Amino acid sequence: MKGRALGATALLGLLLLAAILASLALGDSNLRPGEVLQALAGRGDDLARTVVWDIRLPRTLVGLAVGAGLAASGVAMQAFFRNALASPGLLGVSAGGALGAVMALALGGAALNIWIVPGASIVGAFAATGAVLALARRGAGPEHLLLSGVALNAIFGAGTSFLLALSAGQFQVSGQILFWLMGGIENRTWEHVWIGLPPILLGCALMLPLGRPMNLLSLGDTSAQSLGVDVRRLRWQLIGLSTILTALATAVGGVVGFVGLLVPHLLRLGFGPDHRRLLPMSMLGGAALVLLCDLPTRFLPGGLRLGVMTALLGGPFLLWMLRKHPC
Amino acid sequence: MLSGGGLTLGSRLQDVSLSLEAGLMVAVVGPNGAGKSTLLQVLAGLLHAEGRIQWNGRELSRIPFLERGRTLAWVGQESHAEFAFPVREVVAQGRHAWGDDGRGVADALAALDITHLAGRPITQLSGGERSRVFLARALATGAPLQLWDEPAASLDVRHALEVLRLAKGLALAGGTLLVSLHDLRTALCFDRVLVLDRGALVGFGPPEEVLTPDLIRAVFRVQARKAPSMVLELPS
Repeated sequence: MKGRALGATALLGLLLLAAILASLALGDSNLRPGEVLQALAGRGDDLARTVVWDIRLPRTLVGLAVGAGLAASGVAMQAFFRNALASPGLLGVSAGGALGAVMALALGGAALNIWIVPGASIVGAFAATGAVLALARRGAGPEHLLLSGVALNAIFGAGTSFLLALSAGQFQVSGQILFWLMGGIENRTWEHVWIGLPPILLGCALMLPLGRPMNLLSLGDTSAQSLGVDVRRLRWQLIGLSTILTALATAVGGVVGFVGLLVPHLLRLGFGPDHRRLLPMSMLGGAALVLLCDLPTRFLPGGLRLGVMTALLGGPFLLWMLRKHPC
Repeated sequence: MLSGGGLTLGSRLQDVSLSLEAGLMVAVVGPNGAGKSTLLQVLAGLLHAEGRIQWNGRELSRIPFLERGRTLAWVGQESHAEFAFPVREVVAQGRHAWGDDGRGVADALAALDITHLAGRPITQLSGGERSRVFLARALATGAPLQLWDEPAASLDVRHALEVLRLAKGLALAGGTLLVSLHDLRTALCFDRVLVLDRGALVGFGPPEEVLTPDLIRAVFRVQARKAPSMVLELPS
């Protein structure tokens, strides 16, 4: 299993590299791999350099951050709740981020400044994160947190629907809102990269050493504690990192569903549940999946956005999974 | 040397005090809801109760988590197994507090007769097999204090007897064992019996002195009578 997992990690790394290259090369003007590399090095013709550096590289880096962050967040949530069906949006963090962004869009913030929508999304998501962490701090158990997440999701979802209905007459605004709610990484700028990429990579790096204690936690928290794990601290770290990663991913990529559920589950089925391997594999796999799902959105009609592509892939998978592992 | 003084946790545990020297195998008995599992969890530092617990003269609450993982092992009644970890990896988790050195894992697998299951995912095991996996994990810790909560509940008769023999071996080697169980006849094989009733300690000492027909009638509300019956033991 170990050798297989190492090989698979290397393959996932190669897949991610290929996805990055494809993401830089394909679009309205297709570039050859050589042209991409030349443009990256600052050589070649002006048009190719502009396309790669100003349009596709930010888009690619944001997609990479969103995918890796959501997948890592999914792994942590599944270990925390000891349930393979847990996902990053479970506790209402993405719904909070969505409401923040939708508020900013409904008030016309998109036209004012490029930072406003992601900023508002971060505020919304962190408000939800704060609520979750406050509950966790008061010693709420997993069931309590789960139900609180249901409540937060309902509240934020209702707010989002209300604002969407209010702006139904303003086609431009409601269009922006709808697009944002469907998730997507087109028209990203370097500002989005700076908001999302460094903190998400840092969060992923902080999560990697937690793989071993996560293994113990996923077989029961009392027994994990008896074996020498500081369970309270570990749960705090997991819920904190997971919600912050989700918040950041939502802020720069909108609501992208199923990546956090699909990627860890798929890799667990193939290579076992050991979190020391599952975490890095999921980060690579999540990043590759988002970049690959983003590719067809460049050529297909406008409605087939990133969130739609990941859901079209994730929905059937979930149904298949439920058939295979009945609850 | 394990000692607890004035252990109290609501109505679940009421002013329980005990002192156990090393090398003893102690049966913890009592009716349902008497506080057996609570006492074991409190002694393992997994549930916080009023009072003090000392291990070799040190306050248990002052011992850091990792060191506690080397000092004591606890086996609970419920086991979560959502994720399909192979049996060998679960047993190897017993070495977490030792930096995952893998020592004693093969011996623990053999001791619980699960070497042939080592590669199987834990999710595919029966309840009894799973109990043996968690016992093997506790054994692999090498901890001198072992707290087992009804380890024999789902075991077949041979494996239950083997677990008893294993416990005896650990006690002979200087370990301290507290094992909760329901079968009072099995409790007779232990060095000491600790009887709990509604959270209170009502008897502690050698089994033949503690488990009198009077105490059994008062605590368990059954009549104890000596009679010849079938005896089951491991073939020599």
